[in-house]
Amino acid sequence: MQETRTDPRNPTVHDKLRRLLISQEGVLFLIMLVSVLFLATRTDKFLTVDNLLQQGRFMAEVGLIAIPMTYIIITGGIDLSVGSILGLTAIVLGWTWQELGFPLELAIITGITSGTIAGFVNGLFIVRVGVPPLIMTLATLALYRGLAEGISEARSARGYPEWFFQLGQGELLGIPTQLWLLIIAVIIFAIVLARTRLGRALYAIGNNETGARFSGLTVNRHLLFIYTFSGFMSAVAGYIFVSRVSTTRSDMGTGIELDVIAAVVLGGTSIFGGTGSIPGAIIGVVLIQLLKNGLVLTGVTSDATIVVIGSVLIFAILVNNFIQSRRNEGD
Amino acid sequence: MSKAKSAPIPRRPLHFIGIALALVIIGAYFTLPFVVQPERGPSTVAVLTESKKANELGIFKTGVEVIPLAGLGILLLGIWNVMTPAASRAISLLMSVAGLLVVVYYINFFRDYAADEAAYISSMDSAFWIMLVAGILAILQIAIPRPVPEERYRITKLFGNQESVILFGLLLLIFIVGIANPRFLQERNISDILQGNAYIAVAALGMTMVIVTGNIDISVGSLVGLLAVISGRLVVAGLPSPLAWLIPLFVGAGIGAFIGFLVAYLRIPSIVVTLGMLSIIKGILIIWTAGERVTDMPADYHLSQMRPLGIPMPIIIMVVLTIVVVLWMRYSATGRAFYALGGNAEAARLSGLSQRRLLMTVFTLNGVFVGIASVMYSTQFQIIQVTPPPALELSIITASVVGGVSILGGTGTAIGSTLATLLLNFIRSAMIFINVSPFWLKAVQGLLILATVLADLIRRRRQRL
Repeated sequence: MQETRTDPRNPTVHDKLRRLLISQEGVLFLIMLVSVLFLATRTDKFLTVDNLLQQGRFMAEVGLIAIPMTYIIITGGIDLSVGSILGLTAIVLGWTWQELGFPLELAIITGITSGTIAGFVNGLFIVRVGVPPLIMTLATLALYRGLAEGISEARSARGYPEWFFQLGQGELLGIPTQLWLLIIAVIIFAIVLARTRLGRALYAIGNNETGARFSGLTVNRHLLFIYTFSGFMSAVAGYIFVSRVSTTRSDMGTGIELDVIAAVVLGGTSIFGGTGSIPGAIIGVVLIQLLKNGLVLTGVTSDATIVVIGSVLIFAILVNNFIQSRRNEGD
Repeated sequence: MSKAKSAPIPRRPLHFIGIALALVIIGAYFTLPFVVQPERGPSTVAVLTESKKANELGIFKTGVEVIPLAGLGILLLGIWNVMTPAASRAISLLMSVAGLLVVVYYINFFRDYAADEAAYISSMDSAFWIMLVAGILAILQIAIPRPVPEERYRITKLFGNQESVILFGLLLLIFIVGIANPRFLQERNISDILQGNAYIAVAALGMTMVIVTGNIDISVGSLVGLLAVISGRLVVAGLPSPLAWLIPLFVGAGIGAFIGFLVAYLRIPSIVVTLGMLSIIKGILIIWTAGERVTDMPADYHLSQMRPLGIPMPIIIMVVLTIVVVLWMRYSATGRAFYALGGNAEAARLSGLSQRRLLMTVFTLNGVFVGIASVMYSTQFQIIQVTPPPALELSIITASVVGGVSILGGTGTAIGSTLATLLLNFIRSAMIFINVSPFWLKAVQGLLILATVLADLIRRRRQRL
């Protein structure tokens, strides 16, 4: 606490620019620019407005879940059940509409509510019973997916009315609808994290939970909120997913938790908690999506792209570790 | 210890009752006639099992194999009782559970056949009745008054760790499902569950060590797939089978050492390294194999199908490795150091332990165990699928965690992770036998994982109070 160095989270105006350049986000952004330019020289199908907007459509779900995941990882927790909550929401939506005869609007609300409750249950057990987040969400990863499988009994619901696809397949002012949603959510929640008491509290919890408790923060309420929030965002992503692919299946979103965590970690959020940002996470999401798409367009098979992405993940963290340790020495 | 010396509990004849009952049960099973067949005369169960002629008698449908298993359990408990008389109250409780397992067979038998014909029951011979009486006695022996045991042998203490809770859960499950559907207890089913999942238990041993040090490895699922294909391709290419079994161990150790290097020397968190490795290995596997499964392995390659001494090889490997790892982690300097590192890294460093070397060791060892698991997996069937079972890493991590390994490091044993693997897969099989809709399997499994974790937390909290 009594360090003579300037606190990296309270920069003076003087070295703000320098900080930005060598911050994790800055480094990552440079990596992204370089790869985009490189990919653009290899194929002319990559750097087109149509293609980029199409990719925006694909990354909305991962991006939306990455927001609460960043919050959770900043507090030192993790949520592995997001993919299962996505699947559960999709199934509840389809099942209440087709089997129970709910109006579609009500079915959407029911689906999102059940996803939110699923997140709330995670939070409740983590906070009240003291189950470590990794274990709790590992158990609900199986449980929620199991509920989805049990409710759906391998039946898929399809045949939605036209207006339902607006969110997943439609456009607003030439930009995919869900991309609007993602952009708005990113702006709001980036500000919440960086500029509000709630956001600061999350960093405090991640750096020193006991300390945060003793300084009078309502740690439990904050944690309960972010896990519920995670359930809600996964549920919204589930709704978008159904709207995009026009059907519900119980295996929707399987493995998305690893994509989300990879993006968040790539974006500079430390898995041990205490540091991280929403812009970083979103750059992580974009970088992964563009790499996937760009490599496929340049003729690399989609299986080889996951090798590249895995390597980029390790390499980016390595570079960042190196830069951050140099920065600490330089200060 | 001093208390034990001041008030020693003398060995009395009643302490030998467990051994006596076990010998009666096992002896009757293997030597005394079980049923009188008009055309063949009296035969023991063991003979009948071999001849497989007795199926029409309905002896096997009701899972008679559970009797010698329970007898073995009673024998072990009886020996324990003689060695530590102070614990006999707690032991007598466990012995009653084993006795109940014997009686399950009879409950099923009478339920299914008593209505048929009284003559059928009258054809049962001495072993049938002797084992029933011995089973009932094994239950009733709990009523024998015993001296109040000293503190550390109280029954509550006996359930003081996750391992015994899981063992008890496993016995209870076998007991309940055995009554609901006797076919669950057939040797074939039990042995199928054990054989089919032994490789998960072996991989969970490595995972347990990794988690004890406070790290995690989520790349194991794809690594099992890669090493299995390497092994299969080598043997198809004409390498002798023993080499094809060994090389995956070395490749696994190499990849494990690489992960360990990134974690220990370049200080990248293990979850990030293995998340990256997960994609890299999976991608390499698919590109390399082009999704083509491996077939036409020579006959002597199928290690998992061998049965030395009549016991399936995977079960032998699982049991031996579990014992080795338990002893090694408990008594070797390195094993103790893993706990120290996971419990308090700073204190471990101050007491002169090299964190880097320990991390290298644990990840390399984990690679070896994944190698063994992958060979057990690849030699199971006549073909090797290039895609390992989906979410295999989650099954492995779940087994370790449910087995009592704290995800924060520092606690947990190998026996817990092996028992948990068995429990999780017995649950899966049991649900099929009691006709749970297959669509709900995963949900019930998730609930049970949650219940186990909660039971562990509540127990720990109570111990703290």
